[in-house]
Amino acid sequence: MSVEKKEVRIAVTDGMLIPSGKDKSVVTAWSISLIFAICSIVYLCVNKPDPYLDIIKFLPDGILVTFKVTVSAILLTIPIGLATGMGRLSENKVINLIASTYVEIIRGIPLLVQLFFIYYAIGEFIQLPDLTAAIIAMSVCYGAYMGEVFRAGIDAVDSGQTEAARSLGFNKTETMFMVILPQAWRTILPPVGNEFIALLKDSSLVSILAVSELLRRGREYASVTFNYFECYLMVALIYLVITLLLSKAVSIMENKLNYYDD
Amino acid sequence: MTTNPIIQVENVYKFFGQLTALNDVSLNITSGEKVVILGPSGSGKSTLLRSINRLEKIDKGHIIVDGQDITAPECNINTVRQELGMVFQSFNLFPHKTVLGNLIMAPMRLKKMSKEEAESIALDLLKKVGISDKAHVYPAKLSGGQQQRVAIARALAMNPKIMLFDEPTSALDPEMIGEVLDVMTSLAKEGMTMVCVTHEMGFAREVADRLVFMDHGEIIEQGTPEEFFTNPKHPRLKQFLEQIL
Ligand SMILES: Nc1ncnc2c1ncn2[C@@H]1O[C@H](COP(=O)(O)OP(=O)(O)OP(=O)(O)O)[C@@H](O)[C@H]1O
Ligand SMILES: [Mg+2]
Repeated sequence: MSVEKKEVRIAVTDGMLIPSGKDKSVVTAWSISLIFAICSIVYLCVNKPDPYLDIIKFLPDGILVTFKVTVSAILLTIPIGLATGMGRLSENKVINLIASTYVEIIRGIPLLVQLFFIYYAIGEFIQLPDLTAAIIAMSVCYGAYMGEVFRAGIDAVDSGQTEAARSLGFNKTETMFMVILPQAWRTILPPVGNEFIALLKDSSLVSILAVSELLRRGREYASVTFNYFECYLMVALIYLVITLLLSKAVSIMENKLNYYDD
Repeated sequence: MTTNPIIQVENVYKFFGQLTALNDVSLNITSGEKVVILGPSGSGKSTLLRSINRLEKIDKGHIIVDGQDITAPECNINTVRQELGMVFQSFNLFPHKTVLGNLIMAPMRLKKMSKEEAESIALDLLKKVGISDKAHVYPAKLSGGQQQRVAIARALAMNPKIMLFDEPTSALDPEMIGEVLDVMTSLAKEGMTMVCVTHEMGFAREVADRLVFMDHGEIIEQGTPEEFFTNPKHPRLKQFLEQIL
């Protein structure tokens, strides 16, 4: 039997470009963007404290909510994605079909439409706080994308690993959690990081669902002071700083996971 | 005096689509016996070996390992597999675990061994296969021969009754084959029941109690190494031996 080499291919999402850990030079697109964003914020706040400093003081509550939505959604998305990814690889036809249908449906509907739909669908049955409903809606949407990431990551682990684990007497679950996932994690982490960053950006969509995250805070401020341009400039710069820092964090984590290579 | 066979393969068929990979194969192996399976590429050697621990599910027939019919639906294959060590051509060590981690994982989880106990057994095994100094190294740092010896030690850590080897030296550089065969030979001397698919004729001649020759999914000749090499009967075996020796 010939040993088949599986092609590792993971769909590229619209998250940030994760900076390569090997690139040691100081002048990178990443550092230029970060310096540009931070300098702009500082410059504007120092030289034109009215309105920029006021805006900056008004936004942190929104940043906090943005993080709440993003972190909660990603934490919910990981089990959903794991279940979906494993479902997509399952030999059980029914489970496989359920997982595939979920992915297919979610991928075919614009995120904003899904958010509205899920938000109001939840509202039909139970009264949940806006924030919770928004988090659930985001998780359901992103779970499908995360499912594809997990599927690809699990699939990329050599089948010999499963055979070795099963031969030792491990059952399917033990094999998955003790042998496959610890290895799949390395292929999964960069796209999960990308999803995380994409999710953070898409969390601005829940501003329409009466959740006061960063974008909505900016809009609230602007609608009172009529500083639309200044407000959205600050909001944009803050999003940029956050996503740049996150993409760096992901790349550092990614390098840490390479510990067992030669 | 006859003992009950520890492995009974009874009229086994295995199909891959149109292809008959195993065609009415029957084989009994007694405890402590060392059987070497020979045959040209694609003859079904791996399929037979892998059927014994149900990595391949057979389509017809029965396979009974240590008294348990592994083809029966109620059979708990996971417990049977603990009796069957398997060594692969491609080693298949767990790359995210150190050598020691590879060895203690199954005993701790499946035999509920304490970490200390599992480690002391593992270190003894590593000494036996000659790589005690690499206990805390990740597999990627080892040579092929070292990896394969770790893989053998990992299988032995479950204290199996039977060891299955599928071309354990075929992926190795020539200068590393000897070190792996030495480990296998000493294992054989300790009385382990062994079923090996290998093209190493020196090993087969020295270690095997019985050689089994397969072709086109069938066992077409069996015998002692003596009989095989001095007096092969079947023309296809003669042809095979001419090519390989
Ligand atoms: N998973 C599979 N799907 C389809 N065909 C398979 C599969 N596994 C094996 N086969 C086929 O079954 C036949 C027997 O294969 P097997 O691997 O048992 O041969 P082998 O004797 O071990 O050969 P080799 O010396 O090349 O390892 C071959 O024709 C092979 O192509
Ligand atoms: Mg083979």
